Amino acid sequence: MKSKAFVSRIALHLGLAAWLLLACLPILWMLLISLREYVDAFSSPLKWVAPITFENYRRLWVDQAFYLNFFNTAVVTVSVVTVSLTVGCLAGYAFSRYRGSLGFWLLLVALAFRALPHSTLLPSFFAMFDAMGIRNTTFALVLVLVAINQPFTIWMLRSFFMHIPAELDEAAQVDGCTRAQAFRRVIVPVMWPGIVTTGLFSFLLAYNDFLLSSALTNGEKMTMPAAIANAITAESEALLMQGVAGAVSITIPLILLVAVFQKQIVSGLTQGAVKG
Amino acid sequence: MKRKSFLQFSAPSMLLMLALLAFPMVMTLWLSVRNCTPQMALVTVQQTGPFGAASVTTQRAKVDASGRALQDCKFVGLSYYRNILGLNKTPADREAAKAASASDDTAAATGDGHNEFIGALRFTLLYTLVTTPFILAGGLAMALAMNHVTRRLKGLYVAASLLPFIITPVVGALAIKWLFRDDGLVPHLLQQVGIQVFWMAQAWSAQLLIILYGIWHVMPFAFIVFYAGLQGVPQDSLEAARLDGASRWQQLRYVTLPHLAPLLVFVTLIHLMDAYRVFEPVLVLTRGAFTTSVQYLTYSVLLEENNAFKASAAAVLTLIGIGVLLIPLLRRTWREQRGTH
Repeated sequence: MKSKAFVSRIALHLGLAAWLLLACLPILWMLLISLREYVDAFSSPLKWVAPITFENYRRLWVDQAFYLNFFNTAVVTVSVVTVSLTVGCLAGYAFSRYRGSLGFWLLLVALAFRALPHSTLLPSFFAMFDAMGIRNTTFALVLVLVAINQPFTIWMLRSFFMHIPAELDEAAQVDGCTRAQAFRRVIVPVMWPGIVTTGLFSFLLAYNDFLLSSALTNGEKMTMPAAIANAITAESEALLMQGVAGAVSITIPLILLVAVFQKQIVSGLTQGAVKG
Repeated sequence: MKRKSFLQFSAPSMLLMLALLAFPMVMTLWLSVRNCTPQMALVTVQQTGPFGAASVTTQRAKVDASGRALQDCKFVGLSYYRNILGLNKTPADREAAKAASASDDTAAATGDGHNEFIGALRFTLLYTLVTTPFILAGGLAMALAMNHVTRRLKGLYVAASLLPFIITPVVGALAIKWLFRDDGLVPHLLQQVGIQVFWMAQAWSAQLLIILYGIWHVMPFAFIVFYAGLQGVPQDSLEAARLDGASRWQQLRYVTLPHLAPLLVFVTLIHLMDAYRVFEPVLVLTRGAFTTSVQYLTYSVLLEENNAFKASAAAVLTLIGIGVLLIPLLRRTWREQRGTH
């Protein structure tokens, strides 16, 4: 009986170790080949050991000016997170405190919008932005990403606001605050954990977006994921290796993010209405 | 909260969604029944060269005062819908198909009666049906296994599992692609045991890769949600079941699973919506050569065929699909939220 338990325990740990390997393998392999020349990265037969070089990164960041794309991504993500949270907090608070049926129906509509396949909006975006002359601008991309972000931001922030008792608003209002003052001085300060968690997911949505970013920006305005689109079709060796280096460059900030904010990401995922 | 302050607080958010989500959806409907072509004019140009002057007549697009091309727009009804559904061909397409079949057989593959939308929908559904059970079962197995792991290792497993989930989808798909390239790691390892597959050279293996990517990317989400749910399983019910002689399997079947049922439904519904939007792996792993998805169809018609009107028709069909998919989720939310309002 005891040996049976022992065997199942071994099987369990082997299974988990296998998952650990599978989860990380594509990322580790990408990291490994990004540090090699093309002939060593993709060779037949495969090379387990090869000289390490940072040439791919140098070509990408220096020669191809990938720092511009990095800068664009930074501007887009910071703007999207800031605007999403500001606008979303106001709306999330309103939805958590309003009891009328209008709020309920708007929440359902927002939920439906969350499921929207983003490419269906592109033909109209092209026409709208062409007419306004703001196609291929960071401004247009930020607005679009904020709007796409809103449904889930509202849902998530609303669920955090629901945990804050309405008596707190009332107490503040009794003490002479207006509704807006109560929100700004009393409610938001106790909401910070919820705001940080929601902000993380807004960040991920903006940072990871490829479809809208690649369609709405080009040239110098491209974000990092849009810029490595070349690697998808790359036939030339140099372009392919730069794509690998770019893919790793995009992933490193995400690894840092998991290291720092693991707890918040997990709590956000289990909040319910999440996953952008 | 009063209705007036509700409206004031939520106005910025509502206006953004109205302008950039609701309005474009309506506009798509309008675009999909129209077609615009640039107005062309015959221009005769005098060319002077070393061998004397010649006048050449060419076609040029007309522009207005600000340099924008003038367009001829007309109402074309449902013809783009018929086109996408392979019901009939526009005269221009028929000519193109004729020219193509005369000169080149490969182009004829995109020719007559080819139902692009149903083809895309078929793979989207296949992807959904195959990935969902693996994601649910895999996520559940991992969550259950976590109960037997020390606290220290738990952190490691959770962190490692989060990586495939939060990685940029286009990067994740590329990572899988580089792993499965003909001179990559996996084909090399498979060759050691005598299996040779050119993963991206045929439909079945390319589709399998997309499905593998999907499981790799979404299973961690299921795992984390289920793991959180397991912490809330009432321990005294499990204890009582144990005392009554329930086996481990019976404890799982009659105590744990019923407790997790709402989360299973939640993960399934979220995955159904996300699977319907599958895009990046299709673009990266096959470039639409062997398989398409509904999102990919709109994207490629818009950016590769450069036809915003046909793309709008594809978009409207896609939206009808998501509308059907959303019904169970909306009903569930409606029932849940009715109590809180």
